[in-house]
Amino acid sequence: MKKKLSAVAAATAAALVLAGCTSGDTNESVDPSEDASAAAGANITLWLMGGDTPEALREYLRTEYADATGGTLTIEEQGWGDALSSLTTALPDSDNTPDVVEIGNTWSPTFTTVGAFSDISDMYQELGGDSLLQSFVEVGKVDGANYAMPYYFGSRYNFYRKDIYEAAGVAVPTTLGEFSEAAAALTTSSMSGFYIGGSDWRNGISWIFANGGELAEVQDGQWVSTLSSPNSVKGLEMLQDLYSTSSLAPATESDSTPWVNINDNESTGAPEAATIIAPSWASCCIGDPIELEDGGVGTQWNDDVFGVFVLPGVNGGAAPVFAGGSNIAISAASKNQEAARVLMRIIFSETYQTMLAENGLGPANLDYTAALGDNQFAAALIASAADSKLTPAAPGWAAVEGSGLLEEFFGKVAAGGDVATLAAEYDALINPLLNG
Amino acid sequence: MSSPVLPPQRTPEPAAVADWSPVARGSHVNQTPEQREAAVKAAAAARRSKRRARLLPHWLVIPAVAILAVGTGYPTLWQLWTSLHEYGLRQQFGQPAPFVWFANYTQLLSDSQFWAVLIRSLVFCFVAASITLLIGIAFAVLMSHVGKGPRLTLQIALLLAWSMPIVASMTVWTWLFDRRRGVVNYVLDMIPGVAMNRYNWLEDPLSFFAVAAIIVIWMSVPFVAFSIYAGLTQIPEEVMEASALDGASGSQRLRLIILPMIKPVIAIVMLLQVIWDLRVFAQIRLLQDAGSSATDYDLLGTYIFKLGTGAQNFAGASAASVMVLLITITISWWYVRKLLREDAS
Repeated sequence: MKKKLSAVAAATAAALVLAGCTSGDTNESVDPSEDASAAAGANITLWLMGGDTPEALREYLRTEYADATGGTLTIEEQGWGDALSSLTTALPDSDNTPDVVEIGNTWSPTFTTVGAFSDISDMYQELGGDSLLQSFVEVGKVDGANYAMPYYFGSRYNFYRKDIYEAAGVAVPTTLGEFSEAAAALTTSSMSGFYIGGSDWRNGISWIFANGGELAEVQDGQWVSTLSSPNSVKGLEMLQDLYSTSSLAPATESDSTPWVNINDNESTGAPEAATIIAPSWASCCIGDPIELEDGGVGTQWNDDVFGVFVLPGVNGGAAPVFAGGSNIAISAASKNQEAARVLMRIIFSETYQTMLAENGLGPANLDYTAALGDNQFAAALIASAADSKLTPAAPGWAAVEGSGLLEEFFGKVAAGGDVATLAAEYDALINPLLNG
Repeated sequence: MSSPVLPPQRTPEPAAVADWSPVARGSHVNQTPEQREAAVKAAAAARRSKRRARLLPHWLVIPAVAILAVGTGYPTLWQLWTSLHEYGLRQQFGQPAPFVWFANYTQLLSDSQFWAVLIRSLVFCFVAASITLLIGIAFAVLMSHVGKGPRLTLQIALLLAWSMPIVASMTVWTWLFDRRRGVVNYVLDMIPGVAMNRYNWLEDPLSFFAVAAIIVIWMSVPFVAFSIYAGLTQIPEEVMEASALDGASGSQRLRLIILPMIKPVIAIVMLLQVIWDLRVFAQIRLLQDAGSSATDYDLLGTYIFKLGTGAQNFAGASAASVMVLLITITISWWYVRKLLREDAS
């Protein structure tokens, strides 16, 4: 609900800001060196998705942009949940489009193939070239031209309650099979050994990947949904088994805020879960309850109580988890192409990339990953990201996500349906959407 | 969306008729020429002002018609156009939209999911509207039978429920039904022999829609109660007294006198309620945020939203919307004809 409210507030703010926006310089410029002068005084808008980019980084962008052009950079935050519909309506409209826009990495093919973004191939080398995270670069390409660039990457790993594991004499698992056993052993009537929402497909697909399955593949030049392939079914059955023995989460729950379940519950003083899987930046919000200066309740990480480990693979090592993260692109309909390119240079500068890494976000330019540090979170991030996988680069992938079919399918699997039958049924529903 | 029926322009003007009436003719026999001239002038002025008075409503209706044409007419036409074309994300970004005749409609009508959602929506809307009406009538009868103090309290409570913004009240409702900390589970769990701790109301589609119906009914009972209460105040005292003298019991009076007399009000309120409950969107969407947005939990509003803005199939969503429009018109048509027939008799 809070997410919904802030989205409404953001939309209102967007309307207010856009109403006062002046249309900038419309001169076309091909030579990058002329961008800064052509962009002088232009006011532009940047859309960021969710609250993943910390305020200090936003402030840096505003200041740097003002210094470079004399114009104003307005940053508008879009809620992840409503972002697809906002993008669909705003991007084609040159009077209302954001000039630079962050998008979920997996949505890139959908928007690049319909021509929503400007071709920025000429900037590729300047922005980092081959040092950029290549899987994200690839997903933003159409016919060899670069349209969307990596913004940051994240990964998913497990957070667990050291105190509970120790009390139960359960060791940190090293294979996916051991993981299921450990989770089942820790489960009680009021605590999940491993808390995962039944409809949480973004985490659930790790079990498909770990068993060698895929969500979709290209067959004879067409994207085909492969939930019913033998390996996918094997992974889904493993997940179904894990869910039924170890998770008390509703089958209808998706991946909203899993970390609240590993902290002590305010009313019972005990956690809802011994283990969760969450995006790397969730460490912000996990820990012992502390009182904040403003009287609210916050959390403070405690190494004696909490720990992290990478989701293990079927034969040990790390399981391939969903490679979270964002791409960033210039709207093709923007009237401020030059100014947008100035902002892109600021974002891909060494300073900003380092700032991303220092805040626990995987930097687009891999030359700066050292700034992630060498603490346990950085180690888990790097270890889990190494084998992580993107969702299929199909042109219609955003439509698949937007349709809610994956939540529905995983929810039905969690509820105990027959995996092979359901997989075939949802393959048939997803196929028409995949090719755009 | 057609313009309201305007009265025909060439009806005989009452002023002119008056001039030729025996009384008017008889009176002007005894008039002096000056008086006659003055009378004629006055009559002409009266005619002019009457004509102006008759034209005035037409002028006044123009803004409303214009707003309807722009606000509803244009989107409806655009929706019809879209529903006959292939229109997805590519078209949204400027690529040509091929004309596909009724392909979007046939695709939708051959989709079992759409039929399931459609039937679910119709059942939901009639069940919710009927219960709303029953509770509304009960509240209205109660209001007309209690003293001023209790009535005012009741009316204020109903008004508050009616004026509560949807997002605010939905937040409270989802908290009430929260599986872990909700008051509903907490209270039910205290009943001996009932184990409702952590019962998830939103997990099973049937209980999901039961909760949705409770919320929708709670939000619409005030409107029904006030409308019917207004109807009840129009029943003449004498009729009620006469029936009491004839020995009619309370329930007989309600069934045989009160309800038939306020039937037109009930009919129009039921019509509005059915249309509103068929198009219900925000409550279901917000409840889905707390539960699940899988198709099993969809009504027409959320289904169309998911098809359009979610899966970016704008043409399919338009076709579905056009069908909802047709259903609404069909239901209203039946009701409006019934109302007209009753008016005539």
